[in-house]
Amino acid sequence: MSSHYEAPIREPLILGEKSYHDITVDIAKPIEGKANKNWYIAFYIALAAMLWGFGCIFYTIGTGIGTWGLNKNIGWAWDITNFVWWVGIGHAGTLISAVLLLFRQKWRMAINRSAEAMTIFAVFQAGLFPIIHMGRPWNGYWVLPMPNQFGSLWVNFNSPLLWDVFAISTYLSVSLIFWWTGLLPDFAMIRDRAVKPFQKKIYSLLSFGWSGRAKDWQRFEEVSLVLAGLATPLVLSVHTIVSMDFATSINPGWHSTIFPPYFVAGAIFSGFAMVQTLLGIMRKVTNLENYITRLHIEYMNIVIILTGGIVAVAYATEFFIAWYTASPYENYTYLSVGAATGPYAWAFWSLIFFNILTPQLLWFRKIRRSFIWSFIISIFINIGMWFERFDIIAIVLSKGHLPSTWWRFEPTFVDVGIFIGTIGFFFVLFLLYARTFPVIAQAEVKTILKSSGESYKKLRDGNHE
Amino acid sequence: MASSKKYWQSVEELTGSSVVETLSKKEFVEEIPTDEFLGDKETLEASGTSRRDFLKYVGFTTAAASLAACEGPVRKSIPYLIKPDDITVGVADWYATTMADGYDFANILVKTREGRPILVMPNKEANGATNARVQASVLSLYDSQLRLKEPQVKGTAISWSDADSRIGDTLNELKKTKAPVVLLTGTLASPSTEKVISEFIAAYPNVKHVVYDAVSETGALDAFEAMYGTRTLPTYRLDIAKVIVSVGADFLGDWQGGYEKSYVAGRKPEAGKMSRHIQFESNMTLTGANADKRVGLKPTDQIFALINLYNAVTGENVTSKETPVDAAVKQAATQLKKAGSKGVVVTGLNDKNAQTIALAINNALQSKVLDTTVTNNVRKGNDADVAQVVADIVSGELAGLITYNVNPLYTLAAAKEVQAGLEKLKLSVALSVQNDATATAMNYVLPMSHYLESWGDVSITSGSYSLTQPTIQPLFNSRQLQDVLLKWSGNNTSYDDYLKAFWSTSILKGASWNQALHDGIFTKKTANKLSAKTISVADAASKLVTATTPSDYELNLFTSIALGDGQQANNPWLQELPDPITRAAWDNYITMSFADARALGFSNPIKDNGAVDGDYAKLSVNGVEIVAPVMIQPGQAKGSFGLALGYGRTQGLKDAMQVGVNAYPLYSNANHIQTGVSIEKVSGTHQFACTQVQKTIAGRHEILKQASLDQVVNAPVHDWNKPAMASLNHKEVVANSVDLWEAHNREVGHHFNLSIDLTSCTGCGACVVACHAENNVPVVGKREVRTGRDMHWLRIDRYYSSEVETREEAKALGLSGGDLYKAIETEAENPTVAFQPMMCQHCNKAPCETVCPVAATSHGRQGQNQMAYNRCVGTRYCANNCPYRVRRFNWFNYSNNNEFDFNMNDDYGKMVLNPDVVVRSRGVMEKCSMCIQMTQATILTAKKEGRKVKANEFATACSTACSTGAMVFGDVNNSEDTVAQLKEDKRAFHVLDAIGTKPNVVYQVKVKNTNEA
Repeated sequence: MSSHYEAPIREPLILGEKSYHDITVDIAKPIEGKANKNWYIAFYIALAAMLWGFGCIFYTIGTGIGTWGLNKNIGWAWDITNFVWWVGIGHAGTLISAVLLLFRQKWRMAINRSAEAMTIFAVFQAGLFPIIHMGRPWNGYWVLPMPNQFGSLWVNFNSPLLWDVFAISTYLSVSLIFWWTGLLPDFAMIRDRAVKPFQKKIYSLLSFGWSGRAKDWQRFEEVSLVLAGLATPLVLSVHTIVSMDFATSINPGWHSTIFPPYFVAGAIFSGFAMVQTLLGIMRKVTNLENYITRLHIEYMNIVIILTGGIVAVAYATEFFIAWYTASPYENYTYLSVGAATGPYAWAFWSLIFFNILTPQLLWFRKIRRSFIWSFIISIFINIGMWFERFDIIAIVLSKGHLPSTWWRFEPTFVDVGIFIGTIGFFFVLFLLYARTFPVIAQAEVKTILKSSGESYKKLRDGNHE
Repeated sequence: MASSKKYWQSVEELTGSSVVETLSKKEFVEEIPTDEFLGDKETLEASGTSRRDFLKYVGFTTAAASLAACEGPVRKSIPYLIKPDDITVGVADWYATTMADGYDFANILVKTREGRPILVMPNKEANGATNARVQASVLSLYDSQLRLKEPQVKGTAISWSDADSRIGDTLNELKKTKAPVVLLTGTLASPSTEKVISEFIAAYPNVKHVVYDAVSETGALDAFEAMYGTRTLPTYRLDIAKVIVSVGADFLGDWQGGYEKSYVAGRKPEAGKMSRHIQFESNMTLTGANADKRVGLKPTDQIFALINLYNAVTGENVTSKETPVDAAVKQAATQLKKAGSKGVVVTGLNDKNAQTIALAINNALQSKVLDTTVTNNVRKGNDADVAQVVADIVSGELAGLITYNVNPLYTLAAAKEVQAGLEKLKLSVALSVQNDATATAMNYVLPMSHYLESWGDVSITSGSYSLTQPTIQPLFNSRQLQDVLLKWSGNNTSYDDYLKAFWSTSILKGASWNQALHDGIFTKKTANKLSAKTISVADAASKLVTATTPSDYELNLFTSIALGDGQQANNPWLQELPDPITRAAWDNYITMSFADARALGFSNPIKDNGAVDGDYAKLSVNGVEIVAPVMIQPGQAKGSFGLALGYGRTQGLKDAMQVGVNAYPLYSNANHIQTGVSIEKVSGTHQFACTQVQKTIAGRHEILKQASLDQVVNAPVHDWNKPAMASLNHKEVVANSVDLWEAHNREVGHHFNLSIDLTSCTGCGACVVACHAENNVPVVGKREVRTGRDMHWLRIDRYYSSEVETREEAKALGLSGGDLYKAIETEAENPTVAFQPMMCQHCNKAPCETVCPVAATSHGRQGQNQMAYNRCVGTRYCANNCPYRVRRFNWFNYSNNNEFDFNMNDDYGKMVLNPDVVVRSRGVMEKCSMCIQMTQATILTAKKEGRKVKANEFATACSTACSTGAMVFGDVNNSEDTVAQLKEDKRAFHVLDAIGTKPNVVYQVKVKNTNEA
């Protein structure tokens, strides 16, 4: 596969005059070297946020959900917003590593490791919320269909929340295995280079005794393919099922058949935006500009504009249908005239601005290929996607069927604290990852060095002359 | 037969082998080698129990011993050693008794469990009706904070005998000097107590008994006395009325004890027998909200309108003034005249002349609704006497004051002057249940028993005699008034003997005491119709007109549904009961019209957390100033303000209950109409605790269907009660007939339904409190109610009409977009009002059931949607998916939590808890269970008695508490149950039937008699 032909007009995916050894050195550097001051600053900020969030979680569990801003009419708000947001972010990783693998997209190789790390860390954050949002989280294990001595108690297979349990746990395990499988040759590489015995020991364990034999490589390729095949449907299923938390309910604005595809598109949209955000920082901090190039950014922006387009069409459909039903109950769904003019107009218009208007800038090639613009737009999309979920949950619940139950939601410091805490937790994990894991799948990148490396391309171009 | 059989364990045993016999005598088949172990001393000494082993053993045994010493929390439950005859653990006893606290009078049934009264319900066989306060009074029994526990003199505890002798000495001294002493009580309406008092007065002739009602009806009493010769109130048979015109009388509230039962009895659209009710008033009252036609009118204009009504009815022309609503007055007069003897006029103006005019109109109509054969004894207060007492206290002419269950230092406008004058008294005794402002100011404070601990009799209306019997031993060292007075008069009989003797000689006259005690009531026929004297109406009118000076702003004080005169202000159930009109709990406030609010710059913004805020206003009336928050009230007459009495109590109340402002200082001359009011906005923002913030139904009229009487009688059902339709195979079908799910099998067993007649529901809130009491619903306090976390399983939604009612109307006006929404969302300035009790609808296709991941909420075989609290993990998905939003989440632990210091955080307060219903812990969802503990008890009773459940035997707390019969519960599988017919009634509809939830709660269309002719 490494000798796979690539058209000369394609831009190189690996810049600089890289040899195989250069790649090894570049990627091992953050692990073998010392962390710089910026890393420590970022880490401590993230750690502080995380601890603050954990404090808020303990406070919630110790005192009650009443510490949040919820009320009798709005039973979910930031908790499930954050849950769906983090799950959505988690989507890009699997899409990049599994779907793009099946489609033989070589550009994924520079970003799939980090994208999938992001997935796993994001799913950790997401998984926190369904547990802590319970009134009695210590009984949370009751959602597992396990034999028990409580009597003939069993879970309710009708409930989308139960489907969530299965979907998220499956997704997390498959993603984790897939990620780890890809990591094996890279861990082995670090192990082989390690000089400190402790480090060597750890990486030996992590690499599961990878020896680099041809048989290892053959099995590696096979397993990757099989796992990619397994993971691909999960990309669709997880957010489909998350969307069913809403779609199978009877609330106007939630009860909508387009939710599954629309949520999947939205998830990929937000996931790519988050990858964009993370890589924008990482390529600078870890000096990997030669591997994460303008071309990668552009490709991701193209996915963003595609999925963003799907999302925009879904919004328009929702808005149209809310109007077209002429049902007074649909007057106030999160995409409706009622929402656009009601007390949550600011949230409605934020959604439109961040999620529909900003991504349109990516139609311009200049912006699409600009690191700074991509970074800013990706942040905007992250915000926009958070608003999407907040709007779906809070606006819909704030205007229920009976006007007597209309209410509003205001977060407390605990709501905000837990959200910030998960962001901190996420970055703590990611920063630790960036210092200890090979952040680029170097083994895979090496396979395309000869076809897509700048130096080899030049060499070939020269030959053609 | 069986005994002849022989069993053996083996063939050897059967054959009688000797081995078996030998073995059967030996417990251990092999020798136990004890000697081997213990016999040889050397080996024993050599055996290696090392120091380490020893320490291990010591460590283990110490740990085990100390662990075993740890005990669980000690639960104070003491079993009966000898079972009392009348108590079976787990079985409730019901006692018929009567509540009379001077303000609320009701024939009630009290449920006791293991000797504790836990629930109050109307004694329907005695024509009893309960309002929210009567329902809640059982919790006031357990108010360990406010109730007096020991006799005290100047704050130090003394014994009863000391108190008796010391007070007796002082009384005798005062008797010698003929120094005047006043016994100040509320309305007692108790024949035996009046006799006790007269005997006390006979013993101490210097004592005068003065009746003081905190909220006075003196005007009506005096006017009736002038016209009919006895100082009492008539009764109004609103059930036979065809036209009711009320000028400021809140007769569905507290006016003369309330008339909701007979009012609703006269409003049954089925028979076309429905009175027409026209209300002229300034505040939006419960009565006005229920009226067929409500005319907003400033208080002083009410006076003129009443005179104009008299003129219009009689054709006379007595002195009056024009009012802005004279056309409506004329129309009302026409309708009254048409109704003739079936017409009635009532007025709430506490003025003898105004009441005289109302009586004169009724006389002119020869009204049969005004019933003088049965008189109403619930108010007897005399303002002139009270004013004299106040003057005597202030001047120092009074030597002694004995108060009984009145709190003049809180309820008198002149409370401050009286307080200063108290020092001059030689004897001041408070006989009081509560340690209130008056009790703390008096020298002697003697704890009185709560009515649930007392004997007594009450004659609520003439000819009916109700008995009060104790349902629990006095909780504290208290006595009751009658015992105290008997003792002071030198009579050593106990009051219960006295009462019994009195009844047998004066009331029963041979009838059974036991029967009367069992029934709670004894009725005698007394049918002497009083004849009216002619009173000069012209004179009354001219006096009225001269005395009335209209001003730009006028104040109309009123009593709120929750607190009434404020006696039970320390009762958390009542504080948490949202006002039926404003839906604000834990507060009183100045109600103000839109027009005035705009002009004066007041607003009620809704905050981001859903809560309502308000501005403060400084209100000055005749030199008295108070600062209170403003609530803009649709329907409030322009130029008038409303303010509820009964709030702002501080003395002895828990901090959380010290809410609102005391409006009694403004209640000068016991007149709830005060003119010459000035108002100004002052700084500060008040935080209201409203349970509903959206005021209109936003065009969703199928939620609460309304029709006119004419429609119901004459028009086809589909015109006014059309079920939701859906499209199936391109045909329009009834939405309810389309279903994805398999139906539950309802053929076997019971199938419970609750019918709620929106025409009969006045919105009084008694059911809300009954639900609190029956189901241990927690109180959460003002802060939590404010942020939308009230725990009411049953709430009463209130919707105002908007100027533009539907989208279609709005579009016809050329409105679109946000303007359209605003138009249907904004309440009208003078709206019509509709109430809708809302609780779990027990959907047959319940949206909550499908979404719970742990199946904590699931469907019962009897139609109930059941909630298994201990299975709930608290995802709140069910609440989000409930279109009725009736599920309530335990955001915190509401019991044993100092943050929620209400009755469930108090050993006394916990005594009111219903042992049949679990107290929910934090983190679980709860909701209406259709009182499953009650339905199961009914089933079990029937089973034990070996019979079928009788027709209409099933009941819930709300349906039992409902005085008007708006709520009917029962089994639709039993065709004899009323609810089975109601379910099929042409007025029946389900809320949100379009979404296919198929509820087991069925509503009956609200009907108003809009006939103007």
